Amino acid sequence: MISMKMLEIPLQIFRYREGEPPHYDIFTVQVADTAHVIDAMDAVWATRDRSFTFRRACHHSSCGSCSLRINGVEKLPCITRVMDVWDGHAPVRLDPLRNFPVVSDLVVDVSAFFQRMSAAGMTITRSAEPSLPLSVDDLAATGVLSRPVEVPESLSRFNRFENCIECAICMSACPTMATDEKFLGPAGLAAIYRARQKADNPSDVAHLLGLADGEHGVWRCHSAFECTAACPQAVDPAGKIMALRRELIARRFKVAARAAAVVPRTRNYSAPAGPTKHGGNGA
Amino acid sequence: MATLNYPKIRRAGRWFDVRRRRLGMWAYTLNRITGIGLVVYLYLHLGVLSLLARGQSSWDSFVSLARSPFYLGLDVVLLAGILIHGLNGLRIALTGFDVGVRAQKALFGILMLAAAVALIAAALKIFGD
Repeated sequence: MISMKMLEIPLQIFRYREGEPPHYDIFTVQVADTAHVIDAMDAVWATRDRSFTFRRACHHSSCGSCSLRINGVEKLPCITRVMDVWDGHAPVRLDPLRNFPVVSDLVVDVSAFFQRMSAAGMTITRSAEPSLPLSVDDLAATGVLSRPVEVPESLSRFNRFENCIECAICMSACPTMATDEKFLGPAGLAAIYRARQKADNPSDVAHLLGLADGEHGVWRCHSAFECTAACPQAVDPAGKIMALRRELIARRFKVAARAAAVVPRTRNYSAPAGPTKHGGNGA
Repeated sequence: MATLNYPKIRRAGRWFDVRRRRLGMWAYTLNRITGIGLVVYLYLHLGVLSLLARGQSSWDSFVSLARSPFYLGLDVVLLAGILIHGLNGLRIALTGFDVGVRAQKALFGILMLAAAVALIAAALKIFGD
């Protein structure tokens, strides 16, 4: 039997209501030492303040709706244990995601995030629940599958993006997003990368690479790699951005090489001096 | 529905917020600080060069000031900015070509170590002469 100890945990929560200045409220709630931060937030709502607003749904990092900042760092409170973020003294600070307008308390307007996903024409389907082992070999070891399944290399590359739960944590962690509202951002660019992998039609490929190559595309990234570090699903958006850059650069080199090959040489400076058929000296 | 949107100048403060962030964010912030510093220096440099238009005496008096330990210290600060920005820029260029993305933290560490070694050698030379 698991023994549980009850904790009195203080939470410092960002509060905002339309027409009121933003501020922090501190609530102390009682939760088990095995509790996750979302449990403490639920306790605040249930026992301290029914006007406290935040999003949550699945409670197991599948929906991505509860994403916020815990002590300044983007996390999913449904899989973050209280004991991992509380030092035993100072309140655990909860803030809404950055780079999105705040609607109320910890609720932000994430419509800009989904607009970016739509721009890539990306319909997201996940290959596995994140609470399960991501490797199929590990799945077999748990007995869920009867034998290991070999996944083609190309498919395993796809799976990294399929695991995106649309939590928008990467968009909050990205410092460049702070000052360029039109930047497609880590999630948008990772979606473009994934859609580009799937695209066969040259016009679709051109459209996707055109988006990535635009003013607010891959070139806005300045390699902070915070998106990859913060992603709770190991999607690695920064890696996808760099892969898109490589493809764009390679295409430019190819275009330049092709252009150089078709431009006729108008003068041959290495030709020996002498009369030409036009009567010049060939210099 | 009125949402809370912070002004851009306040949001730009997030460039410098490295609290509880990883090494990549420190590299990003260092690049911003040194980049802004080098732009400011460029304008100061152009201002100093304009002294040449005011004649030899103006220039000579500036040169004597520039030999003071304080100004030599500023030279070391300038060099630090150039080394950090340049070498970190090399890391950004390499990762931007999809080279060394997985090793970007180690790359940053090695390049900053090289910057530190070069800076110490340069500082010894500047103050030694």
